[in-house]
Amino acid sequence: MSIFTEKMKMLTAVVMETDRDAVVKALLAKGVMEFVRMDFLPADKMARLSGHSSSVPRAVLTDMRVRIETLMREAGIDLPDLESVDIGDLPPLDMESNRRLLDRVSGSLQSVRNSQKELNTEINEISELLRYQREGKMEYLDLRVGRITHSTASELLSRLSQIGGIFLFSSEPYISLTLKRDSQRVSDVMDKFGWTESTDSEEQKAALDEAVGKARADIEEKKRQLEELSHTAAGKIAGRKDELSSMWVNVRIHELCEHVESKFSYTKNTTLFSGWVPADRQDEVERTIYESSSGRCIIEWTDASDLPREEVPVMMTSPKILNPFRRMVDNYSTPEYGSIDPTPFTAVAYLAMFALMFADLGQGFILLLAGIIGTIYYKKNPLKKDGIISRYLCNLLLYLGPASMIGGILFGSCFGLPVFPALWFEYEAVVAGTATEGLITTIYDILGITIKFGIVIIYLGLVLNWINLVRKKRFFELVFDKNGIMGGLIYTLGIWFAFGFVGSGYRTFPSASWFAPILIASLIVLFLKGPVGYIIAKKNGKAEGGIGHLVVDTIMDFVVQVLEIFSGFLSNTLSFMRVAGLGIAHASLMSAFYQMAEMPGNTVAYIAIALIGNVLVIVLEGLSAGIQSLRLNYYEFFTKYFTGKGIAFEPVSFKSRIVAD
Amino acid sequence: MGKVSDYAFINAKLRARIGIIRTETVIDDMIKAPTLSEAVAKLDGTRFSALAEIYRATGDLQQVELALVSNEIASYREVASYLEDRGKAFINVLLEKVEIDNLKNALRIWYSSAIRGHQINSRSPYIEKRLIVHPIDYDKILNASSFSQVVHSLQGTPYHDVARQFADKDFSSMGLFPLEIALDHLWFDQLGKAEAALSSEDRKIASAIFSTDVDLKNILFIVRYRFYYNISAETLDRILLPYGTIGKEAKKLGTMSDDEMMARLKRIVSYRYPEIVQEIESIRAMADDLTRQQENAMQILKIENYLARTREKEYSRLLFGNPFSIGVVLAYFFISRQQDSLIQAVLSAKYYNWEEGRIREALHI
Repeated sequence: MSIFTEKMKMLTAVVMETDRDAVVKALLAKGVMEFVRMDFLPADKMARLSGHSSSVPRAVLTDMRVRIETLMREAGIDLPDLESVDIGDLPPLDMESNRRLLDRVSGSLQSVRNSQKELNTEINEISELLRYQREGKMEYLDLRVGRITHSTASELLSRLSQIGGIFLFSSEPYISLTLKRDSQRVSDVMDKFGWTESTDSEEQKAALDEAVGKARADIEEKKRQLEELSHTAAGKIAGRKDELSSMWVNVRIHELCEHVESKFSYTKNTTLFSGWVPADRQDEVERTIYESSSGRCIIEWTDASDLPREEVPVMMTSPKILNPFRRMVDNYSTPEYGSIDPTPFTAVAYLAMFALMFADLGQGFILLLAGIIGTIYYKKNPLKKDGIISRYLCNLLLYLGPASMIGGILFGSCFGLPVFPALWFEYEAVVAGTATEGLITTIYDILGITIKFGIVIIYLGLVLNWINLVRKKRFFELVFDKNGIMGGLIYTLGIWFAFGFVGSGYRTFPSASWFAPILIASLIVLFLKGPVGYIIAKKNGKAEGGIGHLVVDTIMDFVVQVLEIFSGFLSNTLSFMRVAGLGIAHASLMSAFYQMAEMPGNTVAYIAIALIGNVLVIVLEGLSAGIQSLRLNYYEFFTKYFTGKGIAFEPVSFKSRIVAD
Repeated sequence: MGKVSDYAFINAKLRARIGIIRTETVIDDMIKAPTLSEAVAKLDGTRFSALAEIYRATGDLQQVELALVSNEIASYREVASYLEDRGKAFINVLLEKVEIDNLKNALRIWYSSAIRGHQINSRSPYIEKRLIVHPIDYDKILNASSFSQVVHSLQGTPYHDVARQFADKDFSSMGLFPLEIALDHLWFDQLGKAEAALSSEDRKIASAIFSTDVDLKNILFIVRYRFYYNISAETLDRILLPYGTIGKEAKKLGTMSDDEMMARLKRIVSYRYPEIVQEIESIRAMADDLTRQQENAMQILKIENYLARTREKEYSRLLFGNPFSIGVVLAYFFISRQQDSLIQAVLSAKYYNWEEGRIREALHI
């Protein structure tokens, strides 16, 4: 493992047109190459090559893939794993027949939805009747109990059903429960059948209960049917699972091939392509192309150092175990090619900061437990969408938990209680003002530790920056930049001065014969930045403006630079006091909760308050410590050495998320 | 409390939500989907995923639309709960607009049943019957056999006084239109009062937004009713909302003859909204064989499009303005309502099997 970004090589290859498909698929299976357009060829040579022309545009393929995915998701069908598919066995892509199948599946799904809609409307209508009965709004209901003199009950039932309501027409007396607003329509129908209303009060009384009972039973039945239909909808798609899965594989692979081939150039019989590959995979890729083209190929490699640094994609070298911290780095930006991979340094700095702010053996264990449970849960439910505690957070908690536990052991804290002797010093006792032994006895001592910690982090950032500048051969910046050697020297002088002042009990400034000459010499060197830069630029024929311009620029640049060094480094260093601040807040909050827990004077209340306190502290303080650690990394550490001018290496593989342009 | 403490939290919360709405591609994905079921599936994983579940369970788009209304009401209530009293009162008036729209829907269903004698059982369940702002007895409206019962159902609400000025006989000739206009007037009155109670900066923002809305609504009234139904200037004067430039000017012209009044109104519109006049004139220039009705329909469409564009611009401008004002709240409601309407429109279009191109053309997307 190297601390620098991965070495890259550029491949340029020519294969026979007849071998193109096999080569592309083999390279996709390898998944280690980022394809690029061959823009580096001179325009007259490019003009002789033709671009890619596809039988099916990629956007059309993407639309179809998305459509298949939508239908598969509707039935809860998982997407097939492309890596386990034998891509040599794929049938030819028939877009028209695919489209027909999708239309059929979608059409049958829609017809189920339409049936559901009809049922739902019926449920709503009956529910309205039932609701009025339940809420005692009988004035909106029209209950009729009677007999008919003409025609048949089934005929009457069919006519009344068009109006809507509850009808019990299996035996006399017939019962009709409808809405009063429909009573005219109901009467019109009933009159035609010679409806005679029953005068039996017992029949009338029993009728409402019977009608309501039937309405309830009808609703239950219709709800059951609705539920069944919703399963039928999924079942209709699930029945086509195999067809949909193989169609998806075929479309997806064609889509990926289209993406890759869109960057290719062609002669009549050959295909030319180019792309970036990590240097340690060079042989493997060469062998793959050679084998898949049966040796009919020409391969040429170009070293990244022969091309402009900003064009080379960057692949980080940090091990997989540091992925949560890699993501923090990615979130900030991509480092320049050939510079230091910030991931391992970020991991160490972040965990150290978190441990200092959230040092507790018990609470750290809870974080670890949450991380383990969350990770297992997401592993068991791979399709589950991320919740507030996302996959990433669970993964991060697996590191933060142990870091916090180590902090707890160092400071003798478990759930905010001093249950075991501290390995370093007792944080809670120092915060409470009861610590008398050891080197750390006051809050100022804790502040001092975090400032020293900050100084270490800032120096580390500066050193990493110097290494990067040496590797990039940017010696001018190495000497003159505010994060260069001169900036570091002035920072050192500042630290010496500040520690001397604090060491005297804030009474006298330190003095030394070497101090002023070094400071003045450093400032002079900084002042010379402008003139030296001008001379270099003039030598390279890039100088702009006259002497007047140079003088003004030099003075302005010097003033800004000095201000930035003095105020910037001072604020960067003092910023680390937040580490102490959060650590002190953590100890104080826990102490406050335990005092509150003792107030009621009974064990149950004590446990309840202590529990709530711990939960609150874990959630709120944990969140604060996490955010502040990230902030310190981004603003105080990364700004010293991380230029973020790189472009990320994105190899195309079966796992790639490629979408239409 | 100061402005910052009043709006800091809600500003951050709503801006985050606006950011999410603006980056969502759900509308585009839905338009591309070939069928209604596939379009609904695109709502999964968005803030509308509950709607997709409702559709899967019922297959009923009206049920989905009802859920959208409930969401909208919940959203107004949530935002109001984060504001101080004056802001809360203002949001309540905005929520009254949702209530008036719901009431209008209920009245249309009642009209269909009681006046037209149509069956309404399949439509009545899709009215939001829970309390929005005022205690309206929707069941009574939907089951009323006469308008006096409708009036009774509105007792204890500000709509009662408006409704009791009407009787059954009024609806046979003009339909519900005069009652709906009267409800619009009531709402703009309430809005004016709530605006007046806001702080000076909030008042300025709200009145700038709503006075343009009123102007354009008045222009629509003029085009639609004066030219289409050929109503007299006197009736038009009663219809026009007495706010904004157009409404205020129309009030001053009350005693003029029909032709004079229309000529003056035209001049005011051309001065204040020259783009609208240009667009309306371009209709005749592009096609001179249109019937009066076709021309009028196109004019209304042009004005509505202009209204949509103007609103879009104004609300976008609010987002760049003072963050500690009512502006971001208004912009949020606009953007979120626009999103809801688009979803509703796309789903309806998919229900009727409209092609992608036709939907895009109709929605100007």
